[in-house]
Amino acid sequence: MHPAAATPVIEFRDISYRVAETQVLSGFNLQVQSGETVVLLGRSGSGKTTSLKLVNRLLSPTSGEIRVKGVPNTEAELIRLRRSIGYVIQDVGLFPHFTVERNIGLVPKIGGWPQDRIRVRVQELLQMVGLAQEIALRYPHQLSGGQRQRVGVARALAADPEILLMDEPFGALDPLTRDELQREFLLLQQRLHKTVVFVTHDLREALRLGSRIALMEAGRLVTVLAPKDFLRSSDALASAYVRAFGEGLESAANRGTS
Amino acid sequence: MNVFRFIWQNHGQVLELTLEHLRLVGFSTLFAMLIGIPLGIVIAHRPRFNKPVLASANIIQTIPSLALFGFLLPVPWLGERADRLAILALTLYALLPIIRNTYTGIRGVDAAVMEAGRGMGLTESQLLFQVELPLSVSVILSGVRVAVVISVGLATIAAAIGAGGLGEFIFRGLAMVDDRVILAGAIPAALLALLADFGVGWLERRLQPR
Amino acid sequence: MRIPQSSLCISVLVAAALLVPSCSPSHSDRVVVGSKNFTESFLLGEIVAQMIEAHTNLKVDRRFYLAGTYICQQAILAGRIDIYPEYTGTALTAILKQKASAQKQEVYQRVKSEYERRFALTLGPPFGFNDTFAMEIRGEDARRLNIKTLSQATAFAPQWRAGFGYEFMERPDGYRGLAATYGLHFAGQPRIMDLGLLARTLKDHQIDLAGGNTTDGLIPALGLFVLQDDRHYFPPYEAVPVIRQQTLQQHPEVAQVLAGLAEKISDEEMQSLNYAVDGQHRDAKEVVQEFLRRKGLMR
Repeated sequence: MHPAAATPVIEFRDISYRVAETQVLSGFNLQVQSGETVVLLGRSGSGKTTSLKLVNRLLSPTSGEIRVKGVPNTEAELIRLRRSIGYVIQDVGLFPHFTVERNIGLVPKIGGWPQDRIRVRVQELLQMVGLAQEIALRYPHQLSGGQRQRVGVARALAADPEILLMDEPFGALDPLTRDELQREFLLLQQRLHKTVVFVTHDLREALRLGSRIALMEAGRLVTVLAPKDFLRSSDALASAYVRAFGEGLESAANRGTS
Repeated sequence: MNVFRFIWQNHGQVLELTLEHLRLVGFSTLFAMLIGIPLGIVIAHRPRFNKPVLASANIIQTIPSLALFGFLLPVPWLGERADRLAILALTLYALLPIIRNTYTGIRGVDAAVMEAGRGMGLTESQLLFQVELPLSVSVILSGVRVAVVISVGLATIAAAIGAGGLGEFIFRGLAMVDDRVILAGAIPAALLALLADFGVGWLERRLQPR
Repeated sequence: MRIPQSSLCISVLVAAALLVPSCSPSHSDRVVVGSKNFTESFLLGEIVAQMIEAHTNLKVDRRFYLAGTYICQQAILAGRIDIYPEYTGTALTAILKQKASAQKQEVYQRVKSEYERRFALTLGPPFGFNDTFAMEIRGEDARRLNIKTLSQATAFAPQWRAGFGYEFMERPDGYRGLAATYGLHFAGQPRIMDLGLLARTLKDHQIDLAGGNTTDGLIPALGLFVLQDDRHYFPPYEAVPVIRQQTLQQHPEVAQVLAGLAEKISDEEMQSLNYAVDGQHRDAKEVVQEFLRRKGLMR
């Protein structure tokens, strides 16, 4: 357990989000501590992606407040806020007309980094995400799905943000590649200790990657548990998930050994 | 062929009229781009306005060109100089393809790319100039190509109100009942249209992002 | 940006190369003569062109058959032509949009000064004839009824069918004003027809009065009589050269050429020139050459 006095890096305070007739989120409260990977787990429509987008203000809550590093995110300057948060989405969204190098180097570039510092950083990041250096000069359409998402992660890490928001980043990949990338994510986290909010509907992934799992259903937070506790939980929804995902979840929960 | 000998013998005048024609087409396309591309960007970002803007441009297109020239004649300052009037009318006709293609091009940019860009902290103007426009340039140019080809044709009618250009040969040939004169205007005009289509098309292909 | 810089640069250069030179037409060693799209106008244009070619070192480009007053005006304002033949009455009413008066000199002076003030254009001296509207009747009718003027013809008008061109019917200084000034009432509505057909239709007794022009070549050829406009309804339409002031500044010798043509063409001479081209289908260039030589204006 982290010392109670530390300010959470991200804090959702009484968040509600309503769109037209639908209440997408209600009474959402959650704290994310430094270095944690909090996984938002739920089915589609549970509000998990919406919660993520509220952090970097791609969406604005109907009521409630989000604090990033103790400061309400509405008070922080929008562009500076977003540049200080790494954002990785399922479709990756690499700029097709930029090389891998320019894609990764974009945020540093607009942040005013000198060209050689950027080049060094790109080399560093490519190595970190397990890509060969020659990939730097390729274009996104020349890469495989797995390579693209690695570039996506590298891009998100480029300016060394403290926070990473990841929205089902490995969801569109084949199982083998997904497994690889999950493993590499864990290694990266061991190295970098970023504060990560990770959205998924896959319990196995949640158990493997999360330090805590926040289970969501119909816009409400049902329970927040560490992976091992999740497996033993008596909560109705949590058990339903465990049953639905069948065998072999124990090893996922023991991610340190996989 | 008689026509080509005639064109060669009068190549000075053919050249002069061609330059006049190019001036009409050039300036009107330029103005249409200066107005139409920003307008297309605005309605792509604010879809609320897209119907009225596109509908207006559409309505302008349906006005017969000679009628539009006629409408504008009595307007002060404009009507005093036929080439001003013609350039305005041609600009109006060039607007629809340019606005529409800009709109389509920008809306066609992958939503994931835009979301990633926005989430990364690119400002709206950085998104526009570094992402949306470069990715739409080919589609926008295709609209410009259509506009130019239309303008080359319409500019021949502008000679009827005294704006000069290759149409003057055509009208003169009609009055003189002389085919060579008609063709001395029609052939270069057709060639111009083809050249513009080819030239802008080449540029489109060169600038197409992968 | 991945957009090839080279393609953009080339495109911009091509566009500039096309637009820039077409911006300001200037004729350094040549003069462009324009004309409207009827015989008399391009005969006058050809006369001016040949005179300039014969008496100066300038090259002359001909830009004839411009379809009407407005188009000629636009062309000369834009500098696409330097000279063209106009009529003082037309300039006054159609371009300056002022009311016409009957005084030849006054109209000329007013047009000249307004053109100089407003358009940087000026007028050369008149060519010498007045191409105004001619109310024509058959020669034998004129002799039989012993009438010479329009006022005298008013008495017979109710027995006559009249024929006019489209423009004459539409213009405010056309049929409406004429009928009002003289109290003319014809038998039935006047027939509207192509100008070229009017004279023949008159000769064939299908109409009894035709609204033509005073310099129409068919007047002497078909023995037609022009009724005198004794109430001076029709404003003078003196044929004059309109020229850009800039052209005169650049080529003062042109002023001399135009002075050499002052008052050199009478109504009758213009009629026969028109007839040679329209009636006898002779080549305009030859007709002009012959005329200028005969008058000693050219060798």
